[in-house]
Amino acid sequence: MPTQLLLTRFLNAHLAAPVTALLEAFHVHPKYPQAPITDAFAMELLVFAVLVAYFLLVRVTLSVEKPAAAQHLAEMTHEFVSEQGESVIGHGSERFVSYLTALLLFILLSNLLGLIPGLASPTANPVVPLGFALVTFLYYHYHGVRANGGAYIKQFLGPVWWLYPLLFPIEIISHFARVLSLTVRLYANMLAGDLVTLAFFSLVPVGIPLIFLGLHLGVAVVQAYVFFLLAAVYLSLAVAHDH
Amino acid sequence: MSINHPLAAYLTGDGVVMKKLQYLFMSLAAMLLATPAFAQSAGNYSPASQWVPLAAGLGMALAAGLCGLGQGKATASATEALARNPGARPGIFIFLILGLAFIESLALFTFVIIFLKVQA
Repeated sequence: MPTQLLLTRFLNAHLAAPVTALLEAFHVHPKYPQAPITDAFAMELLVFAVLVAYFLLVRVTLSVEKPAAAQHLAEMTHEFVSEQGESVIGHGSERFVSYLTALLLFILLSNLLGLIPGLASPTANPVVPLGFALVTFLYYHYHGVRANGGAYIKQFLGPVWWLYPLLFPIEIISHFARVLSLTVRLYANMLAGDLVTLAFFSLVPVGIPLIFLGLHLGVAVVQAYVFFLLAAVYLSLAVAHDH
Repeated sequence: MSINHPLAAYLTGDGVVMKKLQYLFMSLAAMLLATPAFAQSAGNYSPASQWVPLAAGLGMALAAGLCGLGQGKATASATEALARNPGARPGIFIFLILGLAFIESLALFTFVIIFLKVQA
């Protein structure tokens, strides 16, 4: 049995049997049949629950005359995302605000969870950022095809016809490299932040690690912003029209 | 070897050339002596694991140092641009963050490779 966080242990104690049965149905054999739910998955569920509760709270307390605190926060988030989207994507960015907001809030909350004792960052596990990157990859290609139709293929080709066979494979590889770089950037930043705090904790157990926790707080916020910004940039490149 | 030999000019010449040659021969000797040492250690235990900490440290140091250089250059240009034209703040900010993220990701790739290789 692996060492588990409190929440993971609770989930595994109650849901291990049905989850293992479900995974077996898809021919996936978990390493520990007694504990198929990993820490990262439990933390993701927690983030999901918190976000859904937050959005429900905002929706229920929505009011024009007396906006509550949650509504102010939601309006600030929406304003920030729309403003950034407008400046990066330009005209027609309203369509992407919902996806970008969800991405930003999910990653931000996932990154910040690692700072709370007893919880861990799900993004410090490479699988979770890979999921975000793959969803973003599919999303911007879908919108590229939607906005440009068959002409979307032109973005993968060069300016002149005899460059096509050279540039087409390069562009394909560079688009897959985006997935890799999005994944590795988020994962490595979160892992490195945790490791640095841990390393200094083993050297000086009092005081000094706090500095690195503070640094990690800044990195967590900036990395969520960077992931969101890159998703917006890729979207803007995909939906851009050639003139 | 006669005094008319071309090498004699170096061997009997003044300090600078002499010193350079001395360094060259010393490093050559060190390399030639070191080769059997590598071969010997291979017999006892795997030489790969012996050099892993050194390679990891050197690789990460190179990556971090050059990443710092690149990020410093980017930040310097951004602050200069901001001082010249404070009105352009939002645009500069986005490009600065994007540039820093891309530069930093190069160092992080090194970190991940080291992490994977040292674990294995």
